[in-house]
Amino acid sequence: MFALIDCNNFYAACERLFEPRLEGVPVGVLSNNDGCVIARSEEFKALDIPMGIPTHKIDPALRRRVVLKSSNYTLYGDLSARVQQVLARQVPTLEPYSIDECFLDLRGLQEDWHALGARLVHSVVREVGLPVSIGIAPTRTLAKLANRQAKAQSTRPQVCVWAHADAPELSTHLNRLSPRDVWGVGERLHARLAGMGVLTAAALRETPDSELRRRFSVVLARTASELNGHPCLSMNDLETPRRSILCSRSFGRPLRDHAALAGALRHHCQRAGEKLRRDAMQASAIGVYLRTNPYHAGTFRHACEWTALPFPSADTQQLTRAAQRLLDQIWQPAAYQKLGIMLAELTPRQQSQTTLFEGAEPARREALMEAWDAIRARYGRQALTLGPQPADAPWQMNSAYRSACYTTRWDELPRARAR
Amino acid sequence: MSMTPIALAASTSAPASSDTLPRGASGFPSPADDYREAPLDLHHHLVRRPASTFFMRLEGDDHHHAGLYHGDLLVIDRAISPRPGHWLVAVIDGELSVLRLERRGPQLYLAPSRPGLATLPFEDNDDRLWGVICYAIHALPATGEEPAIPSCSR
Repeated sequence: MFALIDCNNFYAACERLFEPRLEGVPVGVLSNNDGCVIARSEEFKALDIPMGIPTHKIDPALRRRVVLKSSNYTLYGDLSARVQQVLARQVPTLEPYSIDECFLDLRGLQEDWHALGARLVHSVVREVGLPVSIGIAPTRTLAKLANRQAKAQSTRPQVCVWAHADAPELSTHLNRLSPRDVWGVGERLHARLAGMGVLTAAALRETPDSELRRRFSVVLARTASELNGHPCLSMNDLETPRRSILCSRSFGRPLRDHAALAGALRHHCQRAGEKLRRDAMQASAIGVYLRTNPYHAGTFRHACEWTALPFPSADTQQLTRAAQRLLDQIWQPAAYQKLGIMLAELTPRQQSQTTLFEGAEPARREALMEAWDAIRARYGRQALTLGPQPADAPWQMNSAYRSACYTTRWDELPRARAR
Repeated sequence: MSMTPIALAASTSAPASSDTLPRGASGFPSPADDYREAPLDLHHHLVRRPASTFFMRLEGDDHHHAGLYHGDLLVIDRAISPRPGHWLVAVIDGELSVLRLERRGPQLYLAPSRPGLATLPFEDNDDRLWGVICYAIHALPATGEEPAIPSCSR
């Protein structure tokens, strides 16, 4: 069994934790440099202000009714790491998937799944103070769908369990679900599937494996197999394309050495940078996580930190520099089994118009990265790799409405009033 | 004295590697090596559960009588279940507030210190609870060691 845990309206919830007057108020969180809305509370969604709207285009009448916050990745990253710590204590394996989601590998556990789900949700609400929902199912693909179903519940805790792939409520659900809503099936695949009469997720999982392999790809055949309850996709096979990128790998043998970990880190940053540029995207925030083997003796260590990039970037050097600093922060002597980097708040590259006041990737850096990709494509990935880069150049971001770094700076602690 | 368990805990952790320790000029290991313990770590002592522990600053002198002063550094552990006598951070009127939890007969109350404020009945799983305060830390006066506290919140 697998579980997907997702923090509900994560950024808005983080803002509310230390500013409780925002409870019930429409809260929107802005991108780096306050350019556009990247996250919304339920009340904000109810006002029909769309995701991604440029801040200056919000109707002034609505603007007065909402609270806008600059994104504060230091705070979000700290709270995200706390959520993971609370979960990691209770389950054998946890894999962060993005800043506000993680998969739990529950294979080998014999549990009352509803009770386990409720326990996990309660522990995060109580200990960290953030609302979460959980989907539990035999595969990651189904767990992701179950999570969405849990989120739609009005009752608390939001837990949805499909214990078997042939559970009647799951079949009903898949009969009503468009294949487009299945993890890894994009618009393009959806159109082609519709062309051959596959109009629902239920129809997709009934399509013969051989036909999917022949007419589409092995990956889509695996997705169908996952819908039938056979785990065969890892997190790295599929990513939510527009929101985040994840590059991680387990090591063949445990790595202790900081320098060796830094090497793995650079490798992941190169891959992540290439993925970004391939999809013409740029990232606004980066996270690094490290963990030891949960099945080995000794203290289990799991650490994860996030930081905002000075401006949205697809530059491998920029990513590596930020990731390196994060690694330095979280590294402690231990035998690590896995290291990963995550990129968040991906936006299409063309949206970032360079202006005098707003930070953006200088054009010559983009040209450099094009040359970089071309050389590596032509002469192989080993032909050109990135060595360590010195950290430098603090770049002040425009974040007029940033909340305090409540959990990471002594001079920004929340105030509690004596009554 | 409450230091004993810490000293015991430190001695059970892995011994420091001898090549990180200074050796005498003769090259022999220092005879003190066998008695080396990790230094006491105050953060570790005060923060038992890092995932659920948060710091805040107390604003206002209304709890002066109880030894809680304006500017105190509060250590709050959300994993602790509130009991009568505990000091809590609770959300009152949309504001993070510090009050004492008291029992009067069968009923629990959030009891303010400021004159003129009403006591508030407190229920099981009360959603106004933010967390239980486990330490309040302040420098003793005139040592000049207390960090400067900005005069008002952001």
